[in-house]
Amino acid sequence: MTMIDITLTVNGEKRQFAVSPAGRRSLNCCGEGYKSVKKGCESGDCGACTVVLNGRAVTSCIVFAAKADGGTVLTAEGLETDGKLHPIQEAFLEEGAVQCGYCTPGMEMATYDLLNRNPDPSALEIKEALSGNLCRCTGYVKQVKAVKTAAKKIAGEAK
Amino acid sequence: MPRSQVTNYLRPSSPEEALTLLRDGGKSARYVAGGADVARTLPSDVTTLIDLCAMNLSSIEERPDGIVIGATATLSEVLENGSVAGVCDGVIVDMMRKVGSPLLRNIATIGGTLASAHSWSDVIPLFLVLNAQVTFYNGEYRTLSLADAYAAREELADSIITSVTIPTSTAGDYAAFQKFSRTAYDIALLNCAAYLHIDDGRCSEVRIAAGGTPRLGERLPQAEGVLRGEALNTDTIERAARVARDTTKTADDRRASGEYRKDLVYAGVKRCLEGIAGKVEA
Ligand SMILES: Cc1cc2nc3c(=O)[nH]c(=O)nc-3n(C[C@H](O)[C@H](O)[C@H](O)COP(=O)(O)OP(=O)(O)OC[C@H]3O[C@@H](n4cnc5c(N)ncnc54)[C@H](O)[C@@H]3O)c2cc1C
Ligand code: FES
Ligand code: FES
Repeated sequence: MTMIDITLTVNGEKRQFAVSPAGRRSLNCCGEGYKSVKKGCESGDCGACTVVLNGRAVTSCIVFAAKADGGTVLTAEGLETDGKLHPIQEAFLEEGAVQCGYCTPGMEMATYDLLNRNPDPSALEIKEALSGNLCRCTGYVKQVKAVKTAAKKIAGEAK
Repeated sequence: MPRSQVTNYLRPSSPEEALTLLRDGGKSARYVAGGADVARTLPSDVTTLIDLCAMNLSSIEERPDGIVIGATATLSEVLENGSVAGVCDGVIVDMMRKVGSPLLRNIATIGGTLASAHSWSDVIPLFLVLNAQVTFYNGEYRTLSLADAYAAREELADSIITSVTIPTSTAGDYAAFQKFSRTAYDIALLNCAAYLHIDDGRCSEVRIAAGGTPRLGERLPQAEGVLRGEALNTDTIERAARVARDTTKTADDRRASGEYRKDLVYAGVKRCLEGIAGKVEA
């Protein structure tokens, strides 16, 4: 099969990948250890595969890898720094927003995009921002709380 | 999904180049913008993908003739744009917030949305009533109203949408949008949009449209006729909504019955017009 080379900066590290020209969820980088990018519906409906591409949260299963060539990808693996969890990850844990955890990385990446643009979102804004991330375990209440807590933590760090 | 046969992923830098590539590729070539549709529904005979996003067509500018939205602007870029928010008191923002989720809106483009022409598109009915003008390139640049562009679809098959222009709002312009879906995130069972220009207490311009009937979004001329030249009040709103219900062609599909859709047209038109009446009074 024909393969093409693409360059992506994934979690701060510039890497080359050989992908099929119509390869898509390969923003998962061909199963290269980015285990947080989950496989779910494969049709853009569930959010399990969410990554931040060029600063915005996207369902990577419906983005052609070739389109992302030259771009920057952040996955949940890239949230922590030097072994310390990101405030978003801490908040999800503290608020009990993680049950089986399958939806969690995607939720966190959608949260990352939201809080970058809107550091103090209302409950409605949080629900809208997470509306593409389905969770089969929780009732979403704890995720909304977790995002609020994450916003407070990030604001506290900035002080 | 059948195994993809794609061997080329091309990123032309101009519409001229893109059109040549498409014509050279014939049936086996396909344009891609955000790719949200193409990635999910790629036919197995496509061997060449032509990505339109490297053509620098994503700016959104306010010009004398309206707000010109570049075809490859994402739905999020449209939703977050200040000039777009000024159209009829934010009606485009209201509608866009109901299109999928942010994760989809960060991928999907406005050009891809208009080109894919889904019958249930939330964008199309509203852009029809806002009198959106679409600019295409197919060897030369042409601008057509969205309705005319859909009427000429076959002829425009290999054209590239380069931008869509929304007229700037003036005093007396009002618009509203309604979407009915099983869940907030689902696609529409039916949607409606209305635009009125109110001059001296009367509706001097009226445009009403419905989508997901389940036909492609289209204007509802009989319902519009009820309001043209009339004042907007409980009585005229009720009559327009009934005429919309009685004259809109609806049909069954797996999402809803044609009969139910008739009730939705009634409710949708009524709510749009009531929403506008509330704003006129305020
Ligand atoms: C999970 C999900 C949820 C959705 N929910 C909604 C919803 O609630 N409401 C709604 O209205 N829509 C919804 N959609 C539809 C969505 O809006 C469209 O899929 C999307 O807008 C397509 O845009 P795109 O840029 O990704 O197009 P692409 O997939 O890139 O292209 C679509 C088609 O248009 C052609 N094309 C693209 N750009 C151009 C151009 N500039 N000129 C000529 N041809 C072009 C392509 O060749 C292709 O045939 C949803 C889609 C998904 C995947
Ligand atoms: S796996 Fe991508 S949205 Fe479900
Ligand atoms: S925690 Fe299990 S799917 Fe969300």
